Amino acid sequence: MVKIKHIAVIGSGTMGAGIAQVAVEHGFDATLYDIDQQQVDKAMASIYKRLDRHVEKGRAEASVMAEAKEKLSVTTDLLSIGSVDLVVEAAPEKLEIKQSIFQQLEEYCPSETIFATNTSSLSITEIGGKVKDPSRLAGLHFFNPAPLMLLVEVVRGVETGQETIDILTAFSEQLNKYPVVCRDTPGFIVNRVARPFYNEALRIENDGVASVEQIDRILKKAGGFKMGPFELQDMIGIDINFATTNTVYSSFYGDSRFRPHYNQERMVQAGRLGRKTEGGFYDYAT
Amino acid sequence: MTMPHNISIIGKNKVAEALFTYWKDHADSNVSWNDEQRLAEAELVIETVNLDQYDKRQNLSLIESIAPRTTTILSTSFQWTANELASWLKHPERLVGFAAFDNFADTKLTELAPALQTDPAHLEAARKQLEAIGKETETVDDEPGMVFPRIISLIINESVFAYMEKTARAADIDTAMKKGTNYPYGPLEWVEKVGIENVYAVLEGLHRHLGEERYRPASLLRKFVYAGWGGSGRGFCEHEKKEVKELVK
Ligand SMILES: NC(=O)c1ccc[n+]([C@@H]2O[C@H](COP(=O)([O-])OP(=O)(O)OC[C@H]3O[C@@H](n4cnc5c(N)ncnc54)[C@H](O)[C@@H]3O)[C@@H](O)[C@H]2O)c1
Repeated sequence: MVKIKHIAVIGSGTMGAGIAQVAVEHGFDATLYDIDQQQVDKAMASIYKRLDRHVEKGRAEASVMAEAKEKLSVTTDLLSIGSVDLVVEAAPEKLEIKQSIFQQLEEYCPSETIFATNTSSLSITEIGGKVKDPSRLAGLHFFNPAPLMLLVEVVRGVETGQETIDILTAFSEQLNKYPVVCRDTPGFIVNRVARPFYNEALRIENDGVASVEQIDRILKKAGGFKMGPFELQDMIGIDINFATTNTVYSSFYGDSRFRPHYNQERMVQAGRLGRKTEGGFYDYAT
Repeated sequence: MTMPHNISIIGKNKVAEALFTYWKDHADSNVSWNDEQRLAEAELVIETVNLDQYDKRQNLSLIESIAPRTTTILSTSFQWTANELASWLKHPERLVGFAAFDNFADTKLTELAPALQTDPAHLEAARKQLEAIGKETETVDDEPGMVFPRIISLIINESVFAYMEKTARAADIDTAMKKGTNYPYGPLEWVEKVGIENVYAVLEGLHRHLGEERYRPASLLRKFVYAGWGGSGRGFCEHEKKEVKELVK
C-alpha cells in the first residue's frame, strides 16, 4: 500500500486551506495550489495565523507549529505538482473544472498517485469517468471547518479500487479524523440523512403545526439536538442549505422525501440568508 | 389549588412502563399501571398504544366505561391524530394527544396536541400534570407525531433506507451523523432509545393521513417491527454483523 507523505491540495478556498492545514499539522507535506495567486497568498496567511493561534492558546509547541509551516508550500503552477502521493481536489463545485483538473494531473503524476475529490454533491463516478484509471479516484469529503470537524466521508465510485479506499481511510485516521466509507449515492451519508431535519421542520412550520421558535425549542428540549433546525439554517446560510437540498432532490430524481420547501426558497429570494445577512428565520441586527 | 392525584396508565408497551416509572418517582400522586379498578377514581388517564388500532380502541373504550366523565384522557397521537382518537369516544372533549417515547425520562419537554374537539380545560389539566413532574410543555397542532417524533422518525427512516441500500455500514451511518453534524446519537442507535414501534407508528400515521410517498416507512424498518426486533441486542448494528459480512463491497 502506498504510504502517503506528500499531498497536493487543489483549490485554496475555505476547504482547500482547511485541508492543507490539517495535513501539515499532522506531519504531511502539503502543496497548496490555486489558479489565483491572491487566493494562495490569502490561504497561506490564514493557515499561518491559525497555527500561531494554537501556540498562543497553549494547544501546541511553537517548534512543532514552525515545522508544520515548513511543510506547507504554495503554487499556481499545476505542472510543478508532479510526484505527490495524494491529490485532494477542493476546487469549485463544477463537474468540468474537477474533471479537467484530474485529466491534467494524470499527465504529470505517477500512476500510483491517489486522486481524491472533496465534492459535496457531484457524482464521484462521473468525476472519475474522464480519467484513464478511475480505480485510483475516490471521494474524500471533509466538513466545514475542516480543521475542527472530525468526520471524513470516503466515497467509493463505481470504479474505485479497494486499495484507494484503504489508503484514504488510513490517511484520514492519521489526520485524527473518523473516516466512514460510503457508496457514491446522492448526498453520501450526512447531507442525505440530515435532510428531514430541515425539510420536515419547514413543512411543519408552514402547515401551522408549530412556530419556528417552538420547533427549535422542542428539538432541543425533547430531542436533545444542540441547535434547532431554524437556528442551524441561519448559521449555515439558508442559501447554502437550500442549494444542498435542491441537489440531493434532483439527484434522487425528485423523490418526494427530499422535496425542498418553497418557504426556504422565499427566504433566499428575499436575501434573508441567516446570520451572514443579519436576518433569516430570526433577526440578528444589533 | 389542589392537583388531582389519581393517575392511571393504560398500555402494555415500553412507553407505558417509562411513564409509570417516571410518574412514580417524580410526583406524590397515586399512579397505577393497567389497573382497571383504579380507573374509577382516576382524574387523569394516560393511554399509550401506538401500533394496533384494535388495541387502542379497546383501551379507550375500557377507559370510558370505567373512568368518571370528567377524567382527562392523554393519549399518544402517533399513528392516529387526537382528532381521530377523540372521534372514537362518547365524550370526545376530554381527549388530549401527546408525545412520549420509550426514553420519556431523558426529555425535558413534552408536546401536547389538543384535538379540534378538546375542551381547553382538559388541555390545561394535562399541562399542569406534566409540569408537576417537572416537564415543560409545548402545545402544538394536532398532526401525527407532532414535532419531534415526526422529525426524528423521518431521520431514522432515511438512515434505514441508506442502510438497506448498503450506502454504508450501520455503525458508520451513526458515526457520520454524530461527527459530521453534531447529532447527540446516530439515528440507528437513536431508534433503540425512542422505540422502533413508535417510529413506525409515526411514519404510518403520516403516510396515511397525508397520503404522500415521502412518509413511506422503509421496508426493513417494517420488518424489524413485525419481527419484534429493534431492542437491545437486536438493533441494526447486530443485524448487520449477523446477516452480512461485507456490506460495502
Ligand atoms: N464550503 C463547504 O462547507 C464545503 C464543505 C464540504 C465540501 N465542500 C466542497 O469543497 C469544494 C471547494 O469548496 P470551497 O467552499 O472551499 O470553495 P471556495 O470557493 O472557497 O474555494 C474554491 C477555490 O478554488 C479556486 N479555483 C477556481 N478554479 C480553479 C481551478 N480550475 N483549479 C484550481 N482551483 C480553482 C478558487 O480560486 C478558490 O480559491 C467544493 O467542491 C465544495 O462542494 C465545501
